[in-house]
Amino acid sequence: MSTETERGLSHNKSDFDFHGRSLDNIFDEYQDILTNGPVGHSNKYGGFWYVTKSEDIFNAEQDPDTFAVGPSMILPPFGTDVPLIPIDIDPPAHADFRKILLPMFTPMNVSKLGPGMRETARQLCHEVLAAGDVVDVSAKLARPMPTIIFSRLAGYPEQDWPIFDRWIDEIIYERTAHPETAYAAGRELNDYFDRLLDEREEAGPEAEPSNDLITQLLKAEVKGRKLTREELLSYCYLLFLAGLDTTAWAIRSALWYLAGNPQAQQQLRENPDLIPTAAEEFLRTLSPVQAMARTAKKDTVVRGQEIKAGERVVLVFGAGNRDPEVYEEPNEIKIDREDNRHLAFGGGIHRCLGSNLGRAEMVIAMEEFLKAVPHFERANDDEPWHGVGPLTLKIGA
Amino acid sequence: MGELWVDGGRCQGHARCWALAPETFEIDEEGYAHVIPGRENSGDEPNVRKAIRNCPERAILERETNDAGEKASEVSAS
Repeated sequence: MSTETERGLSHNKSDFDFHGRSLDNIFDEYQDILTNGPVGHSNKYGGFWYVTKSEDIFNAEQDPDTFAVGPSMILPPFGTDVPLIPIDIDPPAHADFRKILLPMFTPMNVSKLGPGMRETARQLCHEVLAAGDVVDVSAKLARPMPTIIFSRLAGYPEQDWPIFDRWIDEIIYERTAHPETAYAAGRELNDYFDRLLDEREEAGPEAEPSNDLITQLLKAEVKGRKLTREELLSYCYLLFLAGLDTTAWAIRSALWYLAGNPQAQQQLRENPDLIPTAAEEFLRTLSPVQAMARTAKKDTVVRGQEIKAGERVVLVFGAGNRDPEVYEEPNEIKIDREDNRHLAFGGGIHRCLGSNLGRAEMVIAMEEFLKAVPHFERANDDEPWHGVGPLTLKIGA
Repeated sequence: MGELWVDGGRCQGHARCWALAPETFEIDEEGYAHVIPGRENSGDEPNVRKAIRNCPERAILERETNDAGEKASEVSAS
């Protein structure tokens, strides 16, 4: 392919990727791109324009008429070609779908979950300690904590939880190398929610737990009508993937950083009030959502680069979060950084609905982990900063 | 100093302002931020400046008032 020459791009990364092992050294690549060619074209995943400057990402997110989310902001797909509600829905339909769950995710509603979250974190940290001196804290804390907390909030029966990790692994982490595995798991997940919705509808409103997300979706009306089964399934599918995986990554990456940086670890032990500020810095620099896709609805220009209607555009939040025009020493992780207007949760009308919940879980996980667990270090330097795979720590080292 | 307000057309409910300056900002039942009535003149306080700098949507603005105290142009405080 000679896309670069055809398009007249001087410093282009035609193999730019933001998944899997590409993430190992992606921060160096971001700096190169930000410095030498902040808008470019990659041939991956059917081809897309990457946009990396913070300001350009912000502007694109404020302009959904030009940068639409349909057919999907997920590239490559999450094991389904059904548009996911609400993230793949453009205005005007988008607002009504989003409105249904907004009250469930306000900071006040999230703070009501606080004591339960803390209790869950404590129990899991206790199990970390009981597991010995070398422990996979991804499996023991980072993954189960969001699974338990989100499943209770959403209304997923506890006996079903053990299968959830496999669906996440196959749908989110196998989709680039083995899309057929992701689609097969996607069908299983869809069937699971189809059965769960059947059960909930058969049980009737009296039997329903009073205020979980599934109840809210079943009760909700959009333009004077109930949601169709297809809409309910799409919404459930999205909530599952968004609620479990991202928070697990966020908790794991924070612990990964602290395990490799004893000074920062000590600082947070001595001054736990700094943990929420540190959480923002980990979200800025090690965010679970490094990029999301849009599709140009009309011809447009970004930083001098023409983009044609119908072309995919990837907003690289992870690069924008390390833009030297916005952040001093952008590649330094400063746990006390105060000016931190980052893009980890996206922005504009598609701002992550669960951002307040994700933040709370991350902060509580760190607080309880540092309280319960003595000094820890990485036991395996091959484990990357990204993903939800094992994070093996040497505890009490 | 202008009169502080949150542009409802820009606010998307990140709630950073409320986290950083809860004495000036409140969150409604859908998660959107508003200036607490009576706190429109707190724009010079350090926490409020911090909230303005951290708002991902740049939605916290100050409304300039002219000599007669009437609302004139609206300028971004970011």
